[in-house]
Amino acid sequence: MFKEVLKAQWLAARLPVVLLAVLAFALPLLTVTYGGSLENAPTEQVAQWLFAAQRIGLLIPGLALLVGLLLGIGAWAPDHLGKHVYALALPVPRSMYVMLRFAAGATLLAVPVVSVGIGALIATLSVSLPSGLHAYPVQLTVRFALAALVCYAIFFAISIATRRAALAVLGVICGIVLADVLISSLNLRTGMSVAAWVFNLLTTWPGPLAILMGRWALFDV
Amino acid sequence: MSYAIETFDLAYRAGKHFEIRDLALKVREGSIYGFLGPNGSGKTTTIRLLLGMLKPVRGTISVLGRKVPDEMARIMAQTGYVPERPHLYPYLTLEQAVRYHAAFYEGFDMAYAGEMRRTFGLPLDQKLSHLSKGEMGKLHMLLVLAQRPKLLVLDEPTDGLDPVVRRDVLSALLDFCSQGSATVFISSHLVHELERICDWVGVLDNGRLVVELPMQSFKNGIKRIRLSGAPSLVGDTPFVVLQRETTGAEQVWVVRGWQPPMAQWFQGVGASVREVVDLDLEEGFVELLRSSRAPVS
Repeated sequence: MFKEVLKAQWLAARLPVVLLAVLAFALPLLTVTYGGSLENAPTEQVAQWLFAAQRIGLLIPGLALLVGLLLGIGAWAPDHLGKHVYALALPVPRSMYVMLRFAAGATLLAVPVVSVGIGALIATLSVSLPSGLHAYPVQLTVRFALAALVCYAIFFAISIATRRAALAVLGVICGIVLADVLISSLNLRTGMSVAAWVFNLLTTWPGPLAILMGRWALFDV
Repeated sequence: MSYAIETFDLAYRAGKHFEIRDLALKVREGSIYGFLGPNGSGKTTTIRLLLGMLKPVRGTISVLGRKVPDEMARIMAQTGYVPERPHLYPYLTLEQAVRYHAAFYEGFDMAYAGEMRRTFGLPLDQKLSHLSKGEMGKLHMLLVLAQRPKLLVLDEPTDGLDPVVRRDVLSALLDFCSQGSATVFISSHLVHELERICDWVGVLDNGRLVVELPMQSFKNGIKRIRLSGAPSLVGDTPFVVLQRETTGAEQVWVVRGWQPPMAQWFQGVGASVREVVDLDLEEGFVELLRSSRAPVS
């Protein structure tokens, strides 16, 4: 049963998955665009190289977000098209069907994750690092996998939510924006921003998006 | 008597203008039950209630002896459902769609599916998005029949199909029914189509079950009677008066539940029967709907 669901999901999402895999493979390699032997390079050149590599590293959590978004929404797209009638008529409990869809989408995450891993490994092997600098291909790949999984789970849940739930989320977002507008229009000089507070709440541990923040470097000290 | 489908006091509301109320269906095991009704009468909504896709506001539903929605997975394992509009994944090929469907049903008969595919002339490697409406209709029938279900729920399965495909689909259905004792619940607004295959019929109008009776009674029991000297007021009648019109000295009655000995009742009230005309199923259906919307006083 899972095999067929996975196959169906792969057939529906193969184009974005392949494109994401190409991106995932290319990003770590981009970090060594200025590569070559850095073994005897002056400190200033190494610092510049490291800075450029880390800037490119910032794109990796963005890619994890994109992977989660496309696969999370894509997991339900075929059922949304048919208004879930076919899925509801299948002889499995709804919770099990959701699990099957989730597991199939999560399995497809492996394609961009493995691509990041291979890209990171090739990038690491293609550059000679000076002493004091280290490569973290495995750590980067594992972190990318976890970030993509978290994003996938969030967008998967949003995608399957009822219209009422989606409206509730939209209402909360509008409420936050309105609160900020109200605070600034009243000129309260509190320096408080609800949006910034919520953003911090989500992106600092134990917020669900904390994994996307911080340093995403393939090469670091 | 055991029933494959039984509802009691079923009620559902969709928006301000449509509701299903007091629906009490009884579909006997092994019967082919025609669920008739005009467009928008609530046939699809009723089917979705029966299959646990919608939640009723009141009432109980039992399908194959199991309670809806508590035991839906077990019910659906023995039920083949053809929805009003095809909802299969359009990016799959026919072969992939069959394999996907088969994965969910333990008793899926792959050999029978292959046999039917050849009979229907369906191309194995064609994507579903490229299939014609007729081919999709055949595919749906193939999938549900190969499940070997105990209950078939077909929501306008031949709507929009050309006569040749319609005949193929109905022949496959009748072949399947002749092989076993499956119950078929088939909705349609095409009266003549059901006339040929059903042994029971239920008529739904505006969310209300107007009548539920054996097809034979439905076919033979609705008559148009031309009378003279009929009284303007009548008391209890041994039949159901659906319609009464006066044209000159004559009155035309449309009645349900008619049997020839009942002509004596008219003599008793001083009227004489000039002619008793058999109504075909479609005329009978129309008269039933007219009477349900404007009952004879």
